[in-house]
Amino acid sequence: MELLSSIFSRDNVLFLLAGMRTTIVIAASTILIALFFGTILGLVRNYDHGILGKLSAVYIETFRNTPLILWILAIRFLVPIPAFYSGILSMSVFTTAIMAEVVRGGLNSINKGQFEAAYSQGFGFFQTLRFIIIPQCFKNIVPSLLSQMITTVKDTSFLWAVAIEEFTGKGMILMGRFASSTQVFILFAFMAGMYFIINFTLSSIVRRQNTKGQNLKKPVLVEA
Amino acid sequence: MIKLEHVCKSFGDLEVLKDISLTVEEGEKLVVIGPSGSGKSTMVRCMNFLEEPTAGQVFIDGTELTAKNKNDIVRKNIAMVFQQFNLYPHMTVLQNITLAPIKLQHMSKQDAEKIAYEYLDVVGLRDKAHVYPTTLSGGQQQRVAIARALATKQKIILFDEPTSALDPETVQEVLDVMIQLSRINITMVVVTHEMGFARQVADRILFMDHGAILEEGKPEHFFENPTNERTKAFLSKILK
Repeated sequence: MELLSSIFSRDNVLFLLAGMRTTIVIAASTILIALFFGTILGLVRNYDHGILGKLSAVYIETFRNTPLILWILAIRFLVPIPAFYSGILSMSVFTTAIMAEVVRGGLNSINKGQFEAAYSQGFGFFQTLRFIIIPQCFKNIVPSLLSQMITTVKDTSFLWAVAIEEFTGKGMILMGRFASSTQVFILFAFMAGMYFIINFTLSSIVRRQNTKGQNLKKPVLVEA
Repeated sequence: MIKLEHVCKSFGDLEVLKDISLTVEEGEKLVVIGPSGSGKSTMVRCMNFLEEPTAGQVFIDGTELTAKNKNDIVRKNIAMVFQQFNLYPHMTVLQNITLAPIKLQHMSKQDAEKIAYEYLDVVGLRDKAHVYPTTLSGGQQQRVAIARALATKQKIILFDEPTSALDPETVQEVLDVMIQLSRINITMVVVTHEMGFARQVADRILFMDHGAILEEGKPEHFFENPTNERTKAFLSKILK
């Protein structure tokens, strides 16, 4: 009991919670930014056959084929902004590339006939994307998007390498203050548990959306 | 009126259309037949610029179709029905039909739905207005696609093998709807293998092979006294 209260003292819990808050803010910002720019990059790479399409491809392949931690370090040391924003920036530039590929997968799953039907009605390219292609794309990729969100939450733990005090970072600091290895192990287990709870909640949503997505392909009756 | 002048289309080295000139009069029902790979679908797809000709011109009511004005001209004049239906799977039947009228013709949702129900009645699917297309049979999906084409109130409807992807037992329900349409004053260009339909509905039949129009004429002439050897061979194979 004494052991537990030494680990989870009021001060320590508040300290960890502050870290959890940072983790969630960074993860959420990263997901929103990456989703926005990833969608644009995915569209450009898929449909622009000129220089922009090539540039998107270079961007996507560069970040997809290099480790995140490299970019976290590089941006922290090369871009003169506060650590917290540097964290969001490095996570975002990386995750954007991954999201772009997820979006592209969704775009490629759409039948060419959808474009033809839209064009045959007189829709232009951008209208076709907006009303017909993008809605179908996002419906198809909900499961992969949510998986990437889970990965992003876990990826934030890399940020303690540049002394950003997110959840893992705060945990590491606490561990440094503990005297016994038992305390360290218990805290480790607790941190793993916290990540598990957040991500398991997210994956439950994945599973639910997944079944919903399948239902869409099977008969869905909507009452009048 | 649709006018093709010296239209050529190649895909790489493959010459699919060779110097096609053709006029389709307003209100005419034109049926295009021919073996697969003869270029008949490509020709029809040139009429709304789903394929842009490599050479030659396409005129709709005297206006030349260009890459620039195609959306505008198509939106105002031409609808199309596809072999694979190409309904929008993320929308209900009603939304499929009302999308273009609402977004492109700036109709109110209420008016668009009223028209949609009108045409759902024409194709006999009013009770399916709120289901998603994937729940329907092929024949029903194609009838929805026809209602979608009609709801934009175009003068011209292009049909690209509308019954080729259907189960044999649902072909007739689609043909029946098309026969019904043939009585109203719209221009229909129909690529099909359904000879009975061609005979019954066509004002004129074109026979195409190897990217060229080999024979054309009224159904009676066409089926009774074809002059071209290849037409004869094709008909003898298909009319047994």
